[in-house]
Amino acid sequence: MAGLFTADIENRGLVLDPRTKLFVMITLVVFALGGTGSDIAAVRYGTTAVSILPLILLMTAKQYKKAAVFGFLYASIKSAEVFLVPHITGAALSIIGLCCLIFVRLMPGLIMGAYMLSSTTVSEFIAAMHRMHIPQQITIPLSVMFRFFPTVLEEFTAINTAMKMRDIRIGGRNAGKFIEYRLVPLMVCSVNIGSELSAAALTRGLGTKVRRTNICKIGFHMQDLTVLLLTAALYILWILGMIGVIT
Amino acid sequence: MTDAAILKNVSFRYANGDAGALDALDLTVKQGECVLLCGSSGCGKTTVTRLLNGLIPHYYEGTLEGDVSVFGRSIRETAIEDLAGIVGSVFQNPRSQFFCVDTTAEIAFGCENMGLPEAEIRRRIDNTVTDMNIQKLLGRSIFNLSGGEKQKIACAGVAAMLPELIVLDEPTSNLDLDAIDELRVIIRKWKAQGKTIVIAEHRLGWLSGLCDRVLFMENGGISAEFTGEAFFSLPAEKLNSMGLRAIRTANNYLESKTGTTELKPFDSRDIITLNGFIFGYGKQEALHIPELDLPKGAVIAVVGHNGAGKSTFTKCLCGLQKRFKGTVNINGKTYRAKDLMRLSYMVMQDVNHQLFAETVLEEVLLGADESEQKTALDILGKLHIAEYKDRHPMSLSGGQKQRAAIASAMLAGKKLLVFDEPTSGLDFRSMECTAELLRSLDKDITVLIVTHDMELIDRCCTHILHIENGGIES
Repeated sequence: MAGLFTADIENRGLVLDPRTKLFVMITLVVFALGGTGSDIAAVRYGTTAVSILPLILLMTAKQYKKAAVFGFLYASIKSAEVFLVPHITGAALSIIGLCCLIFVRLMPGLIMGAYMLSSTTVSEFIAAMHRMHIPQQITIPLSVMFRFFPTVLEEFTAINTAMKMRDIRIGGRNAGKFIEYRLVPLMVCSVNIGSELSAAALTRGLGTKVRRTNICKIGFHMQDLTVLLLTAALYILWILGMIGVIT
Repeated sequence: MTDAAILKNVSFRYANGDAGALDALDLTVKQGECVLLCGSSGCGKTTVTRLLNGLIPHYYEGTLEGDVSVFGRSIRETAIEDLAGIVGSVFQNPRSQFFCVDTTAEIAFGCENMGLPEAEIRRRIDNTVTDMNIQKLLGRSIFNLSGGEKQKIACAGVAAMLPELIVLDEPTSNLDLDAIDELRVIIRKWKAQGKTIVIAEHRLGWLSGLCDRVLFMENGGISAEFTGEAFFSLPAEKLNSMGLRAIRTANNYLESKTGTTELKPFDSRDIITLNGFIFGYGKQEALHIPELDLPKGAVIAVVGHNGAGKSTFTKCLCGLQKRFKGTVNINGKTYRAKDLMRLSYMVMQDVNHQLFAETVLEEVLLGADESEQKTALDILGKLHIAEYKDRHPMSLSGGQKQRAAIASAMLAGKKLLVFDEPTSGLDFRSMECTAELLRSLDKDITVLIVTHDMELIDRCCTHILHIENGGIES
């Protein structure tokens, strides 16, 4: 479960610089989610191509299962949009059409997010933020969140197990209180862990005035260059389209 | 010799606590000394460690009187993060003291915060790792480490900052005996390097020969002081009467033969037969017990080294292991793997995970009919928590929470109760209470306790089940 949010550094495949990932993410938000330049055919095809990029990245990070699941979901929604939506009418059109529209736009960003979280270590993240001159006041809380998610997930799994043993499940006798029963212990455990975690971090000097060093090596390599060029091509297509060179 | 830490007439009261945690305490720790703080839960020993590393008054709020200074710096005027290079701390819970997700970054974390140059940090990591002999733990993911390995990484992270004073707050409560031995080696090395060490601890045996001075605390003050030698030759009865755990236990059940052994004469009426307890993760077989008989109604300790398959065994027994195919036979009735969840119940190490309702009574009745209210009250009475029936379960003490969890299992008609390390981090009295409770449960209920606590086994178990390498040799 914890693998959903943390990098398995023992077996991580191809490593990208966190800044490259961030650039891909921004591009996906601008073009896939924002629909920028969708009136230009070349940009439309380019957007679809870049939308598939997160799936390829997941595979380079050896997360084949995740890539397969996301790939299947994205492919079914995309094909529904292309093949199904033009043939339906009425209420079905508005419901299915709307769902397809939202998810086709949202999915690439979500997949990229999953890839970012599961392939970046805390130290890489801090190093990248540092290189981009983001102040510590922003970096530290964000990095705590990085660390906190997997822990909450671990707790959640333990609580789930406990609930199974007590026969509390959806459709069971206490279905109405299902969420409450889950949240109360989760909050108590999270608060405890959060407070212990901060205490431990403080005793090890997190938050001193001195400039923090970072031994984590990040930097741009061949793989970064490839991904960056691919993504940047989309912007170029868009500009070319805007000034009327292509349509 | 200079003084590492001086506490003068210190009183402290936590912001939300009723009683004072420390009461006019005087303590001087000399440089290079190894001091043990012991005493029952709530005696104030953890509070002393928090004063030394600055968590009090800078993180935990409350009213502090008196003077605390560490290496000549007044603790009030020194920010907690500035103490980081001087005082290093190792905590109890391995789940919550790691900031990074990989081991190398974790060891570097403190040094990075101090702003040391990169080459220096690399050199320190190398030294620490060689020193502690943990080369093979470098570059691993924190989530794949055992409790003992995590605690070693925590120690390494502290050692790399080269602190003068190292404070350990119950560092062994989640460790097995082998891991404790390794921690002992680390502390001996620190001592040889001339570091000052302060340890607050319930488990005492492993510190014999390490500590120069032992302070026994009661009600927020130091009520007795011993030299290390004098303290570690005290007889067990004397220690127990002080509310402390024994230093040596007569029996080490890890040395017993594998399989079930009867410890106390037990009049067994029925037999629970486990069949086909075979399970593997991937190709690796983790558990191989084709057939095993357990006496019904017994209190059975499950022992074995870390990684022996104890937790796989109990998971299978509670029906929590997916794809498990074994069966359990009681009185001619056969329970298949998916029925086991109705038969058995696991009381987890962190009981907070399994208390859901708003009041204790509601908690026990959860999943049962209202008509069973009377039975529920009976059970609560038997477990001595009837007076708390309207309290929120999360507001109870650790032992009471454990009882609430047991009560809910009993009302649900569970016949097999499995406890996962019920006494880790408990002092002598609380351990006795748990032992008493386990002894007094219905004869109809069979109890299995996964534990490293030999004192607990001596007190309440009728049998032991020793598992090694995923199985038992017949």
